[in-house]
Amino acid sequence: MTAVLQLTDVVRVHGEAPHEVQALRGVSFAAYAGELVAVMGPSGSGKSTLLTIAGGLDQPTSGAVTVEGVDLARLGQPERARMRRTSIGYVFQGFNLIPALTAAENVALPRELDGVAPRQARAEARQALEEVGIPHLADRFPDDMSGGQQQRVAIARAVVAERRLILADEPTGALDTETGEEILRLLRARCDAGAAGVLVTHEARHAAWADRVVFLRDGVVVDETGADRAETLTEPAAR
Amino acid sequence: MSGGTTSSRLGGWRVALRLARREAWRRKAQTALMLLLICLPVMAVSAATVVWRTSDVSSAESVTRRMGAAAAVLTPQQTRDVAQKFDPDDGTAWGAENEPPATEAEIRTVLGDRPLLPVRRDSADYRTTHGIAGTNLLVADLRQPLAAGLFRLDDGRFPRSVDEVVVNQAVADRGPGLGDTLVLERRAPDGTKVPIELRVVGVGDYADSRTRAWAAVLPGALGEPTADDGPPQLLVGGGPVTWSDVRALNALGVIVASRQVLTDPPPESALAPDMRGGDEGDDTALTVLGLVVAMVLLEVVLLAGPAFAVRARAQAHTLALVAASGGTPAQARRTVLASGVVVGLVGGVLGVGLGIAGSTLAVPIAQRLDAAWFGPFEVPWALVALVAGFGFLSALLAAVVPAFAASRQDVVAVLAGRRGEGRPSRRSPVVGLVLIGLGVAGSVAGSRPGGGSSALLVGGSAIVSVVGMIFLVPVVVAAVARLAARLPLPLRFAARDAARHRMRTVPAIAAVGATVAGVIALGIAVTSQAASDEQGYSPMLPIGNGAVSLPTDATPGQVDEVEEILRKGLPDAPRERVTGVVMDGADHSLDIGLAHGDQRVMTSYWGILGTSFLVADELPGYLGTRPDDRAAADRVLADGGIVVLRNRSEKALPADRLTVEVGEVPFEGGEIAHLRHADLPAAAARVPERSSPVAAVLSPEAAALLRLPTATTAIAVRPTIEKGALKNVNEQLAASTANVELQVERGYQPEAATRIIKIVLAVLGGILMLGGTLTATFLALSDARPDFATMAAVGARPRTRRGVAASYALVVGLVGALLGAPIGFIPGVAISRPLTYDDVTSSTLLAIPWPLLGAVVVGLPLLTALIVGLAARSRLPLVARLD
Amino acid sequence: MSVKHALLALLEQEPMYGYQLRAEFEQRTGTTWPLNVGQVYTTLSRLERDGLAQGGGEDTEGHVIYRITDAGRDEVATWFTTPVARTQPPRDELAIKLALAVTVPGVDVATVIQQQRSATMAALQDYTRLKRQATGTARAELAWSLVLDSLVFAAEAEVRWLDHCEARLRRAAAELDVQNSRLTDGTSSVKREFRRSTGETHADRTRR
Repeated sequence: MTAVLQLTDVVRVHGEAPHEVQALRGVSFAAYAGELVAVMGPSGSGKSTLLTIAGGLDQPTSGAVTVEGVDLARLGQPERARMRRTSIGYVFQGFNLIPALTAAENVALPRELDGVAPRQARAEARQALEEVGIPHLADRFPDDMSGGQQQRVAIARAVVAERRLILADEPTGALDTETGEEILRLLRARCDAGAAGVLVTHEARHAAWADRVVFLRDGVVVDETGADRAETLTEPAAR
Repeated sequence: MSGGTTSSRLGGWRVALRLARREAWRRKAQTALMLLLICLPVMAVSAATVVWRTSDVSSAESVTRRMGAAAAVLTPQQTRDVAQKFDPDDGTAWGAENEPPATEAEIRTVLGDRPLLPVRRDSADYRTTHGIAGTNLLVADLRQPLAAGLFRLDDGRFPRSVDEVVVNQAVADRGPGLGDTLVLERRAPDGTKVPIELRVVGVGDYADSRTRAWAAVLPGALGEPTADDGPPQLLVGGGPVTWSDVRALNALGVIVASRQVLTDPPPESALAPDMRGGDEGDDTALTVLGLVVAMVLLEVVLLAGPAFAVRARAQAHTLALVAASGGTPAQARRTVLASGVVVGLVGGVLGVGLGIAGSTLAVPIAQRLDAAWFGPFEVPWALVALVAGFGFLSALLAAVVPAFAASRQDVVAVLAGRRGEGRPSRRSPVVGLVLIGLGVAGSVAGSRPGGGSSALLVGGSAIVSVVGMIFLVPVVVAAVARLAARLPLPLRFAARDAARHRMRTVPAIAAVGATVAGVIALGIAVTSQAASDEQGYSPMLPIGNGAVSLPTDATPGQVDEVEEILRKGLPDAPRERVTGVVMDGADHSLDIGLAHGDQRVMTSYWGILGTSFLVADELPGYLGTRPDDRAAADRVLADGGIVVLRNRSEKALPADRLTVEVGEVPFEGGEIAHLRHADLPAAAARVPERSSPVAAVLSPEAAALLRLPTATTAIAVRPTIEKGALKNVNEQLAASTANVELQVERGYQPEAATRIIKIVLAVLGGILMLGGTLTATFLALSDARPDFATMAAVGARPRTRRGVAASYALVVGLVGALLGAPIGFIPGVAISRPLTYDDVTSSTLLAIPWPLLGAVVVGLPLLTALIVGLAARSRLPLVARLD
Repeated sequence: MSVKHALLALLEQEPMYGYQLRAEFEQRTGTTWPLNVGQVYTTLSRLERDGLAQGGGEDTEGHVIYRITDAGRDEVATWFTTPVARTQPPRDELAIKLALAVTVPGVDVATVIQQQRSATMAALQDYTRLKRQATGTARAELAWSLVLDSLVFAAEAEVRWLDHCEARLRRAAAELDVQNSRLTDGTSSVKREFRRSTGETHADRTRR
């Protein structure tokens, strides 16, 4: 089974020699279909850089990034943009909806940018909104929605058109615990349905929704947990 | 107590101003844009003011060019009773005429024993390299110290003898230069030309005029002055000539321009009672100026408005925090207004400074375009300060609306990070429609054709309509946003974003609308007037044909000479001698009338064929008659009859036989003497124009029967006549003994000014529109940065940004143009009515400049969008932050 | 953890016999705190002794049914309305282990922390997985889910505490480095003192 996302020895250096900052120092990491991977680390550990590189918004200084077998480094800007329209979905902490567009139009955005006929894009958007449980908000503008609703729209936008890689950057950061949990449940469901997800967070409680947790410290992966043996840990002895 | 209040108020302003200053420094690009928008108009107007004041020569500045080094210049009149203002050029009055002018002796009784230098101004023809041209002549001894400054020598010396002359550059350029011979041609009293040969001993500048031809000779060079020439002007030497001296000389019938009085005029009360007043500025002119200033102010405010709105929005979060911690609305308002104060002050001062600097470059250019020499470089500080104040005011006004909006903003929404504005007010469109209604009513009232029209009312109504339009913009923008649901993404985004940020889009759209309204209004006025002129145009010959009208006393030799020049100069154009009735005799003119019984047949003509009645045995082709009338006309001419030409508005002939009556009108006045008459077969030949070149064509038999004197009155030339060839031929014709001219009918030629005005309108409109659109688009793009980042994250192509930029420009331009165009019709139609009023038919004419309209309403917005789209950066901001 | 009060609270709903009580308890709290039947009967007899419950009557299968007394009801009410006291921190093996690891030389504290974090994280993942299965809204299901949440938050708190420990240890280590470098570079320390008195701190910056 091939990874949907594969990072190999990714190094990212910001700035020039005397003031350079090493955001990532040789990170290798993969996310497979049907799997949600959490990347945990404190501020400055390079989590967000990892995500922008995985989405082709940023280029590694060295190392390789492949998405669905395609090496992003080999692609030009336009092709990388096309990958984001068709293969990679982004969910941000700040929701990042366009306030001038309705919920449905925000969701349809990647499709429309891809040249899909507006009517069809709209239909796909409605379906995606249905999946995240807010079909009735399709014609609302972001300013008229709660934070949780906005983030649901953002998730709908990230999954519309069956994109296979979902990158989420602290998607629950601005939400209360229960709403945040619902958002994670949606992400989880999407991954259970076959997508690969990467969730960047600094909160253990959210990372726990993942199948694997990757610990990032100072731009390197220091540890990784997979989870097995469910019930054993509920023994009080574990405490 | 009040002192405390004042100081606390000042304190509030101090904080606001400090915030504004910091904000201006922090957002440099935005501040630069704001400064540019305020600075440019201030700069242009202050530069224009300086150029105007420099080119304008005041009484005091004109002293040297008028009187050289003298204390005064005296102009004795042929009367003994004159009154004058301090500067006689501003006004003089005199009583009885034909009295002997004051003598030098009489003048000396007033002024005492002073040097007096006679000066005359005259004119003459001179031979140029190509032919003949006219020149002005200064007849004075320029070597005298009193005359110093009247003529500045660049090269050579002043004349020492009567056969010497100095010329200015304008003469030297077209004819003889230094050391050559200048041949003047004076017409002797008997009408013959007398050549006077003069040696050019100097070249220089005449003090008053730069481009007109001037030459200076000693008195006597042109022969002795005749009684008709009147007394010469006198330059007066010695001490100052006081105002009481001037009054005393006025009593002798001498008009005086005194150096002392011009440079330091006495109080108004010193003037003779009937010379006072009457010089106040025209109220109407002042009000029109006020209207223009209001219009420009409105435009500047609208153009600068978006930048201030965006600045205020950028401060919204700060202001919301201030409000949350107990700030008053007044403090919020002040903080935003302070931006206007800072930008207005800096922009005003900077604009004036740049304007004055620019005017030093503009003055020499303007001088080259002006015939008169400019006065000394002059900065009218009071006016310039007013202009700077105008810049300050426009910045302040541009900040007013955002300031009030800021003081009323929804603190919660701002702190929650919502970026949009609420729904547009429901009241504003009503106010807008009412204002537009008022504008229409005012325009109708102000444009009653044929008197009763008031430019003021129309101008005022135009401003009211434009203001009304501004109130309509928000709802229109909101409506466009609603309609945009089905548009492609960039357009939809642009329309929605425009509606969400009305504070910045409304003024931009209104600026475009006001510009378009102005362009359309003036375009309609100019086009309507041109159409009216065209409709009223009467050709003198069929279009393309030409004719040389010959003098009545032309000798056969002269006719041959003219024909020879035409043959050589225009070998491809067929010529025809025109035989016509010689209407003017030595002491009388002929009167030829047509009648049918008691009913007179009125005829008219408008032509250059040297006669109103042609004599020919068949209808000449150069009359432009309708071909289907030719057969009948030729038949009548063959029968010895008369063919009467009927223009578009003349009635048909009452019968096919007419009585032709010939009479004589003595030049000295008196009754028409009837000589003879004849009953002749007649036919009409119609001319499909407003006028016919002659009244009628007589058959040779008829002319003989009525014993009418005939001659070659003109030579008709058929097309094609080239412009270049025409110029050559005309120079030769002017030099021929007959001194005639070939005139060519080219049909209605719209005045060059009309076309230039239209081009200027389109260009100016384009610039203002581009300005309004660009500022709004620039601000929108920088505001939409987060949205672009989002689009990039979901995979937008880089060119999406271009698409959005172009769409934004299109929305602003198109909505503005579509709103502005109908508004422009209000004053446009109003101005065109009095302009095109036809007294005869008491009708008016309305011509819509469709190409201009199309260009401005559709073409310019599309072009602007294209330019913006091509110029916009196509890089999307990518999320790249250090965490 | 007061088994006494928990059983009394269950009895308040309806009279029950021992096995029934154990099953009911476990259903509501998951298998988080397993009770053995002996513990249940010991507790019941203690309740009876204190007059809070009363055994009496048997069901058809001969189980002794216990019911709550009025005094017992009062006791339950008081229990629910009294907050759980945090007077004595529970003895925490992890805290003690870390305290020792920091002070005993030769122990790689970072590794200790990371290993513990991975373990706790894995536990947290398991709790979350269990929670994902508990989506019902029945009261019993909800009770179970809340208990899971309590575990989730506790585990999360532990991870956060570990993060915090790590951050503090790193800072302490960095400061220690700086101090060491100062000790080895006495002359520049004098210079720095001099510069500091004139208000300049370039020396500090260049050193870092």
